[in-house]
This record gives sequence, C-alpha cells and structure tokens, in this order.
Amino acid sequence: MAEVLTSMKRFEPALILTGATLLVVLVDATGVRWRDGAGRILTIAGLLLALVRSVELRDVSAEIFGGMAVVDPLGSFFQALLIAASLLVVLAFTFRNSRELHGQGQGEFYALLLAVTLSNVLLATANDLAMLYLALEMVSITSYVMVAYMKGDRMSNEASLKYILFGAVSTGAMLYGLSLLYGLTGTTSLPAIRDFLAAGLVDSNRLAIYAIALLIFSGFGFKTATVPFHFWCPDVYQGAPTPVTAFLSVAPKAAGFAIMIRFFYAGLAAPRTGPWDLAGTIDWVHVLMIISVLSMTVGNVAALTQTNMKRLLAYSSIAHAGYIMMGVVALSQNGARALMIYLLAYLVMNLGAFLVVTLIHLHDGTFDLRDYPGLYRRSPFLTVAMAVFLLSLMGIPPLVGFMGKLYVFAAVVERGRSYYGYAAVGAVNAAIAAYYYARVLKTMVMDNPPAEKPPFRLAFADATWVSILLLGNVLPLLWWARIDGWARSSLSLYAGQ
Amino acid sequence: MITLQHYLIVSAALFSLGMLGILTRRNAVNVLMGVELVLNSANLNLVAFSRFGSGNLQGQLFAVFVIVIAAAEVAVALAIVLTLYRLRRTSNLDAADILRG
Repeated sequence: MAEVLTSMKRFEPALILTGATLLVVLVDATGVRWRDGAGRILTIAGLLLALVRSVELRDVSAEIFGGMAVVDPLGSFFQALLIAASLLVVLAFTFRNSRELHGQGQGEFYALLLAVTLSNVLLATANDLAMLYLALEMVSITSYVMVAYMKGDRMSNEASLKYILFGAVSTGAMLYGLSLLYGLTGTTSLPAIRDFLAAGLVDSNRLAIYAIALLIFSGFGFKTATVPFHFWCPDVYQGAPTPVTAFLSVAPKAAGFAIMIRFFYAGLAAPRTGPWDLAGTIDWVHVLMIISVLSMTVGNVAALTQTNMKRLLAYSSIAHAGYIMMGVVALSQNGARALMIYLLAYLVMNLGAFLVVTLIHLHDGTFDLRDYPGLYRRSPFLTVAMAVFLLSLMGIPPLVGFMGKLYVFAAVVERGRSYYGYAAVGAVNAAIAAYYYARVLKTMVMDNPPAEKPPFRLAFADATWVSILLLGNVLPLLWWARIDGWARSSLSLYAGQ
Repeated sequence: MITLQHYLIVSAALFSLGMLGILTRRNAVNVLMGVELVLNSANLNLVAFSRFGSGNLQGQLFAVFVIVIAAAEVAVALAIVLTLYRLRRTSNLDAADILRG
C-alpha cells in the first residue's frame, strides 16, 4: 500500500494528464456554449501543471508500481520535452488559424491531444515489456483517430487507414518479438532482461536475440519513421490536418527515440561495462548504422522533387530521424545527450516551419510550393520567419539546428576511425538537404508571381507565436551552458538496484 | 504429450498466415483479420512460455493486455474503414489511392 502511494506521487504528471483528458471530455459532453474555450483552457492548464510536476521529479530515480514504470532524470527530460511539444501545438495552432479544422468539433481534439501526450509520457518511462507495448499502442491508436479528424475528407480518412495498416503490421511484428524475448529470458522487466543477458548467452541464443531485436525494432522504427518503416509517413503527413501533422512529426518521434534509448541501453546493455555500453552483448552498431544512413538518404533524395509542402516536410522529417539516429548509433553517453539536444532543436524548428505553412494555407488555401512565389513582397515577416526555420533545419549557425547537428556529428566522430565514413555520409546528406530547403526560400523570395494577390493580413496571435518560435531558434544559444547542463544531468538512467 | 515446441510451431504458423493475409488481401476487413492472427500468435507464445518456460505469470498478464489492445485497435480501424466506405462505397484498399508521390 505504501509503495502504491509513493508511486502515485511520482506518477503525478501522468495522473494530471488523465484527469485533464476526462475533464475535457465531460465539459464537451455538457454541450454548453462556452465548452470550446473551456476545453482549451483546461488543456493548457493540465499540460502546464504536468510540465511543472515532471520537471520537479528530475532528481528522483526509482521504479514505480512494482517496476512497471520508472522515474528517472532521463524520463523527466523526455516528459518535459513531450509535454512542451503538446503545449506549443495547442497554443500556436488553433481552430481559427488552421483552415482544415474550421467547423470541426473542438472538444475531441483536445481530449485526443491530451491522451496522446499521456501515452507519450508513459512510453518515455516504460520499464516493462507489457508497459512498453501498451504505451506504444496507445500512442498509435490515438494518433490514428487524430489523423482521421476531418470526417468528411477523403484524404484524411485514407491517410488514417494507411497509418493503421502500417502500424498494425509493425507493432504486430514487434509484439511477436517481445513474446519471444519473454520466452528467452523468462521475464518482462527490462532490468531483469539485462541481468539475464549479462550472465552470458549460449551461441544459438545469440542469433535468436539478434532476430528478436530486429522484430522489436520494427515497432520503434514505425514510431520514429525511419527507413524501412517510413512508408506511411508522407501520406499521413499530407492527409492529416496540419496541426496534427506538426504534432505527429515531433512528439511521437521523440517518444519513440526515448523508448529506443531505454530499450537498447537499459534492456540490452551489459552492466559490468556501465549502463551506456552495449558492446558486451552484441554488435548492434551496424544494423542501427544502416537504418540511419538509409533514412537520411531516402528522406533527402525523395524530398528533392516534392512540390507539396507537407510532403516535403514529411520527407525532411524522415531524414532528420536519420540524423537523430546518429545519437543512438554512437551508443555512448555523448550520443544520448546529442540525441536529446537534437530533439529539443527539432521541436522549435519543425513546429515553426509547419506553423508558417498553416498560416499560408489559411490565407491562400494552398500547400503547393508553386503557389508560393511573391510571398516575400506580401509578407516579409512570414518569409523571414520561414527562412530562419528552414536554415535551422538545414543546420546553419548560429541557429539551434546547427547545435543539434554539431552534437550528433561530434558524438559519432569521437567513437573513432571506423565511424568517419558514416559521419561523411551524414555530411553529404546535410548538403543534399540544403538544396531543397533553399529551393523553398528561392521560390518565396526570388520567383515572380503569375498574378498579384492581396496583401497578407496576419492576426496578432499568429504573429506572436511565429515570433516566439523564431526566438526559440536563436535565443537558446545565449543560455547554451544551462541547456547543455540540463541534458548532461538528465543522462542518468534507472536500471535496477 | 504436447510440449512447448508444438505451441511455438502453431504460433509461428499463425504469424506467417497473418502476415500473408495482410500482404495479399485487398479487402480492408480481411487485412484486419490478418492483423488479429498476428496478435494472437504472439498471445499464444506468451501464454505457452508462461506455462512451460519461466513459470511466472508475467506472460499471461501481458496476453490479457494484448487482447484489450487488439480489440481497441480493430474498433478504431473498423470505424475508419466505415467512414471510407461511406465516401467511396467500397472497402477495397486499391480505392485508397489519392495520396501518392
């Protein structure tokens, strides 16, 4: 009983999110006139409260609810990141500035967003195979519904159907892998699995665990949209309402990387060589490296020819998943820190780019790059903002995107000579990516519009949120030591007594 | 005497049949049946390992949760298939072809 009570206290961010979800559903069900505003305020308040609580828990390191989940600095970092992502989406994207959401019910949207946030938070702190699978499926199922949010829209429904079918197959394969892992080790707890593997394996089991990890990786690959589990990504990003796309491109991806770190480092690492060294069990590096290289290359090359902005950003997000993977490939403490820094940077730059795309759609009703010429003269502010977001995605100093790239490349290079080729592939890919980001800018600034369009009128709230995200891409460098210190102090992982 | 191996063979067969169904069927409902086979093959594994292998109940507990998740997943999937049917008058997956490139 005492254990449950302490666990409840440490589980508070998730409990607050659960409560907020239920409250939003209840308020929406009353049918009163002010329910939409109340739902939004409740959502923001719930997210803020959960954010504060998760940051307060950053010094605790313990398992809760009999080892089903953990509270540790790494979990707290990812909780804060994931809740902040939801908060930014709710604040910056509204039912007013997203044309696709006009006329849709609002209550369900907030409830679903809170539910995805809750499951993201659970996924980032899962410590047991059952919890891992439950949280991963909960993220997936709620996102399927969010993608199909525009009920009468064929694109939205088709995107959701493709998402479900891909998701069902990859998580099905993952579940099969999890069941075999349970059979091999006789336990579902990640630290216990690590202890079992550390005690030594006979050679036939070594092959089995390799196959199992590949099966399990299909689930992680699906969540993080890495090649070859990326096929859903462009279609879903294009079909879903843009606020949902922006949210999906950041939050579930971050949660996927959180659980990937936890699974590979806490579940499969050898404790004698420290919790961050996997070399003891098996040679993972090459598999992860191939996936990372493929993601970067496929994402960047496919993005070169895209004219739909949502599809272009979808392929760019596949490529970014490849860069973020570099942090996992490094399999070192610095690699994990680089991954966390990159995800922080990715949050502000990608949400910013999607916000600009949404605002252009609100005024001109188009996602097509061929309709973008002349935007520089119609709205210099929006063009400059887009330039900063794209340069940040490109990795140009002095923007946060550059810091993210700097950290991942440094983490890979410091692992030694055999990693130099891999880092070079990453660098070539960054150059390819620069081409299509620059193409968007060139279209906005230099191309002549076929016909004069009315000047752009930006609502005050929209301009404010664009500015905030803009500053988010520049200002963090002034306090870089603190951000770096936060990531560094979050590196400790709870991995059993 | 039925041993662990028998269960594993059945579950591997179920998994393969499920994947085959998902990859070859064109009707959305049939594909969802394949998904069910895949999930249940894992369930069979979990329960068999729990009974013959480790001797603890974690696997059976896991299987109960998987059953719940499978039900939720199919409920959402069928709802989507239904709305798509309303828009296109077919549940054939080849009709879902407007998103490409």
